[in-house]
Amino acid sequence: MAGNEIAIEVKDVTKSFKVYLDKGSQLKERLLSFKRNRYEERRVLRGISFKVNKGEAIGLIGRNGCGKSTTLKLLTRIMYPDSGTIKLNGRVSSLIELGAGFHPDMSGRENIYTNASIFGLTKKEIDARLNDIIEFSELERYIDNPVRTYSSGMYMRLAFSVAINVDADILLIDEILAVGDANFQAKCFAKLKEIKKQGTTIVIVSHALSQIEQICDRSIWIYDGLIRSEGAPKDVDLEYLDFMSLEMQKTMNTGNSMGECETERHGNGNARIEKVSSFSSEGEEQTVFRTGESIVFKIDYSVREKVEDAVFGLGVFNSNGVSCYGTNTRIDRFGIYDISKDGTTEIVLENVPLLPDVYTLDFTIECGDGIPVDYCRHIYKIEILSSVGDVGVARIKHSFLLDDNVDNKAKATERIK
Amino acid sequence: MSTIKELYAYRQMIISLVKKDLRGRYKGSVLGFMWTFINPLFQLIVYTIVFEHILDATVDKYYLYLFVALIPWIFFSSAITTGAASVLAQKELVKKIYFPRMVIPISYVTSCFVNMLLSFIVVFAVIIVTGTGFNFLALLTLPVIMIVEYIFALGMSLLTSAVTVYFRDLEHILSIVAMAWMYMTPIVYTVPPQYEKYFRLNPMTHIIECYRTVLYNKQVPDLSTLLLAAGLGVFFLIFGAMVFNKLQRHFAEEL
Repeated sequence: MAGNEIAIEVKDVTKSFKVYLDKGSQLKERLLSFKRNRYEERRVLRGISFKVNKGEAIGLIGRNGCGKSTTLKLLTRIMYPDSGTIKLNGRVSSLIELGAGFHPDMSGRENIYTNASIFGLTKKEIDARLNDIIEFSELERYIDNPVRTYSSGMYMRLAFSVAINVDADILLIDEILAVGDANFQAKCFAKLKEIKKQGTTIVIVSHALSQIEQICDRSIWIYDGLIRSEGAPKDVDLEYLDFMSLEMQKTMNTGNSMGECETERHGNGNARIEKVSSFSSEGEEQTVFRTGESIVFKIDYSVREKVEDAVFGLGVFNSNGVSCYGTNTRIDRFGIYDISKDGTTEIVLENVPLLPDVYTLDFTIECGDGIPVDYCRHIYKIEILSSVGDVGVARIKHSFLLDDNVDNKAKATERIK
Repeated sequence: MSTIKELYAYRQMIISLVKKDLRGRYKGSVLGFMWTFINPLFQLIVYTIVFEHILDATVDKYYLYLFVALIPWIFFSSAITTGAASVLAQKELVKKIYFPRMVIPISYVTSCFVNMLLSFIVVFAVIIVTGTGFNFLALLTLPVIMIVEYIFALGMSLLTSAVTVYFRDLEHILSIVAMAWMYMTPIVYTVPPQYEKYFRLNPMTHIIECYRTVLYNKQVPDLSTLLLAAGLGVFFLIFGAMVFNKLQRHFAEEL
């Protein structure tokens, strides 16, 4: 029975906000604008239903403003739905607002009592957890100092330790684990996994898809106030990323006309790059790609005067201005060619291993020994996305070889290939 | 019913908020907690000089007559004025975390109540120093009177704190109301007989008179007066709680 018990049941929930254009809450304003209190009703949730089993962890994903944070707020009961019902079985704790009610003049110990009491713990329950909380926060030496003497990292550590030690049946988390240094974050993450093992139901709202994939059994993608898709995090996250790349393209395309990039160009102008566009290997025009995808650039150029011994080239720079790759037809020993008529050059980049970032591109036409004809810096932008959390500039193909002493659970590397 | 159960589960939160408020109130001042006693004492001195010596009040032991009514009144008026702003003052908490919202007005009123209890130390000291003495049987009813006043103050403050969220002017209107209310209650004077029936409509009249009967007249208060006050108190508490429960659903959006 324990496996199928339902911890959270959300049924046909809708929620709208009144966005007052000019809100007056004073008597005079209320009276004067009695009928003219203008507001727009914004429907944030348009009928959402889902169930979460006991001990299950789910991730809510979606872009900003899609309603995922509102859903979480409804679950915590900070707000109430306009229609529909929400049923929660068990004590709810949230890692939404850490350190609620902290008083800077009081000691860490006193603040543990205040903060934990806000989660609905009695004195006895707090007494029983006090040592765990202090130990987890690693603040033993400072626990009797006023909280105002703490660094912000220490403050968050204390707050997180209280919240995570509440022993809730349902834990709601909004954008977690930006707490403290890398060590502490790893510790928090381990603690979350431990809590999940103990049978706590967890709901996470996050942009960090890799975190969701590590902890959650299921992802729910909310789009425009409705559930668009739900299922195993790996599948839903990919679907979501695909969709986001399409969306982003639409917005990026408008901003990607040549004039709007801060293009610097120099050269003798005998030939001129008129237009750059990028396509997927299937020939679809797009500017957002995933790590490992192939990218095809098409460069339309016009010729005013014949360019002898022409050289086409490109350079790729990440958002920090680091040159990630650069080459041209001469480096590639392409052979000597002239251009005398308007035309189009295609540059195919295969399985681009670059990691997520916005990349700026240079495209160049030179002639002879590097005499610039049309040298365009920052003429084009693309964005790379990925659902994997690896870091650096480019993905290096890799594998981990573990010896036989390791339990065979560790197949994680297969996913990345 | 479920509200009461939940509030009971959150009792530690009420306790810590009250503690925080009492401790934080005089933090940093030289005399610190002594202000709890100095404040009423000086009010007593001022009122006594004005009414007994300048206005020539005819009441016997006027300072005591005034004092045993003034201290409960200060509790009531501070409970409704600071209580009204209480939810607004804690808006960061309300917007970001769940807890039964009634915890806030309850802890504000309770902290005012604790302050009154401490002030009663001064009242008792004055009674002893001046040799007025006590009627111990009557004194036994004092806690009941205090609880009745607490219930009434809590009911009012639930009402005002919830409404203030939607209508911020109420906070300022209330400070005027509290001032007027004070003079509509027999605190600094005795009610002239021809107006008595109007004064009877004011629940605080009954409560203040009970205090005065016990501590000034040294008599057991009239049971019917006490029952009437208790009835009114419970009525306002239920009414206030109902309004609060209805209005609190949209607190997070309004704040």
